[in-house]
Amino acid sequence: METLMELKPPAECTSPTASIWQDVLAQAVTGELVAAMNYAALAEICDDPREAGEAREHAAIERAHAAAFMAAGRKIGVDVVSNVDGKHWKRLSGAFMGCVAERDTIGCLIVQEIMLESFALASYTRVANVAPGSLGKVFGAIAADEQEHADHAMAILKAERDANPDRFDDKLHRLHLEVMSTLAKMLAKDCRDGHCEVCVSSCVKPSLFEVSLSAAQLRGASLQQYLKTLDALGLPGEITLAWIAQLPV
Amino acid sequence: MDCTAAGVAPRVDFALVGHPESWKAAADVFSALRGPDRIPLPDDELKDILPWIPPRAVCRVDVKSIADAEAHGLYIDSFIPPDRLDAACVRENLTRVRAAAAYAIKAGARIVSLGGFSSILIEGNFDQLPPRRSTIFTTGNTLTVAFIVQGIEKMCAQEGRSLRRSTLLVVGATGDVGSGCVRCLAPKVRRVLLHARNVERLRRLAAELEAEGVDVEIGTDLGSFSEEADVVVCAASLPSPSLLLGRVAPDALVCDAGYPKNLSPDAATSRATVFFGGLGQMTGGLKFDPDLQGILNRHPFPDVVHGCLLEGIALTLEGRFESFSRGRGAITPPHVMEIETIAARHGIVLAPFFNAAGPVTLQ
Ligand SMILES: NC(=O)c1ccc[n+]([C@@H]2O[C@H](COP(=O)([O-])OP(=O)(O)OC[C@H]3O[C@@H](n4cnc5c(N)ncnc54)[C@H](OP(=O)(O)O)[C@@H]3O)[C@@H](O)[C@H]2O)c1
Ligand SMILES: [Fe+2]
Ligand SMILES: [Fe+2]
Repeated sequence: METLMELKPPAECTSPTASIWQDVLAQAVTGELVAAMNYAALAEICDDPREAGEAREHAAIERAHAAAFMAAGRKIGVDVVSNVDGKHWKRLSGAFMGCVAERDTIGCLIVQEIMLESFALASYTRVANVAPGSLGKVFGAIAADEQEHADHAMAILKAERDANPDRFDDKLHRLHLEVMSTLAKMLAKDCRDGHCEVCVSSCVKPSLFEVSLSAAQLRGASLQQYLKTLDALGLPGEITLAWIAQLPV
Repeated sequence: MDCTAAGVAPRVDFALVGHPESWKAAADVFSALRGPDRIPLPDDELKDILPWIPPRAVCRVDVKSIADAEAHGLYIDSFIPPDRLDAACVRENLTRVRAAAAYAIKAGARIVSLGGFSSILIEGNFDQLPPRRSTIFTTGNTLTVAFIVQGIEKMCAQEGRSLRRSTLLVVGATGDVGSGCVRCLAPKVRRVLLHARNVERLRRLAAELEAEGVDVEIGTDLGSFSEEADVVVCAASLPSPSLLLGRVAPDALVCDAGYPKNLSPDAATSRATVFFGGLGQMTGGLKFDPDLQGILNRHPFPDVVHGCLLEGIALTLEGRFESFSRGRGAITPPHVMEIETIAARHGIVLAPFFNAAGPVTLQ
């Protein structure tokens, strides 16, 4: 059944929550474009042509996700402006490109599939639960897509960890310190380091409650997803708990 | 700690499933995990983060028996938020306990102690736990009862009180722990007062005791008993320390065995002797990795642990991998004697006495 939201005329751009969705979408589009850049770069360092092809395919899927989010924005009457150079996103893609520079495909998968996807999957799912009409559907459908390719990467990462757990866990921890600390700051209740450079005006986080969301909830759900992924890979819970406990707030 | 080869998961003989007793207790654990160089997590941040953490091991636990046995295990926290232990959150909390149990099973634990509310949520229905082949579960409540009873007897002896001439009040009398305490202590006292909310269950327990010749009175209102108690066991499943005792003798001996504690901080009567019961001490050796000694078990004496958790350790050291305590009020004096003998053989003994103010000294 179509929801009221979708049947409404374009006047919905005057909806008091439109500017909140605009910023939520801006973060999502930025994340997708970063993911697309990451996969494109990964394709360049894959020795196996089949893997390179898959990475290129993923890059295309992420670009399509970005386009779908932009279209969802237009549908509710807002222009979604992304910024892959926003300070947090720049650090996140910097961590990925560091792995690319070292031709470390496993490092790349850890950053993109374990860390960034945990955040994407958990936050899209939360947003899908509360966003009205077609907007909620877009977030839900893209969350399902992200889950699918994360599952694919898990098989590769699990095999890698099983071959040498200590080496794998050391690498994961190094990347955790860089990437998860940045994500934790991005989702912290207070923006201690100033504007994120993605939100249109002031930071959207304090307004999220108006659409039944909160930064704390998005951070919590992302950390939960991340821990579940680490559990599935077989990392000891007492180690990953300490990692989470040590993140900045 | 142990010399496990790099990358090989260390052996897990037992698992202890618990939950934070208070936000302060949780904050202490997180501060320790953050280490001395990071500021402690502000309380509001901890309350935002903890409920999202999937149940997992907090530390490894290595124990040694005085009889030369040793065992390795995990302390697994279900991360039930300390202010959400109430009935309204039963479903959510049961999910957490099941996830903690699944974690223990996956880790390969042979026996799992379901501490505090973990077993209360399961309600003696072990079928609610995830499927397993070689992991068995115990509520640990029989050893808890043993330590409560030992504590009462030792305190009476130390303070020159006559247990035989005393009137015993058990709060939460129809529960698994409470009914075990009643069965052990009733033959040793003059009169027994049973308190809980459900009158039918009180009547059933009273009838069982009367058939044994015990002088019993039941009450759903603590103020309604015909006489004052001079020995009190608090074993009600209260989500927070909220119990006000009402009518008890001014110099009563009160054992608070709750986890979390039963007694409200306002319950203290100046002359009563209050001690925390159901706790034991590992005298052979107890090590945590990371070293959360005194933080996870925040008691004024070292190596003190809840009886329910110690039961799993005692059974492991004894090599008896069986569901010794299954819940549903089935604890009897012979069971209690058996588990306390096993525990003692491995150096697991009654903990020194203390309460919220610190060690309890002789009056
Ligand atoms: N010290 C330790 O090592 C240790 C070990 C295990 C358990 N414990 C603690 O011991 C307590 C009891 O555990 P359990 O396994 O025996 O629980 P249980 O089987 O669920 O029994 C709880 C008892 O408390 C009564 N009760 C509940 N709410 C009450 C209230 N508001 N006022 C009066 N009575 C109330 C219940 O009867 P009604 O519902 O009829 O009121 C029942 O008699 C818990 O706090 C538990 O965490 C401590
Ligand atoms: Fe995507
Ligand atoms: Fe993705």
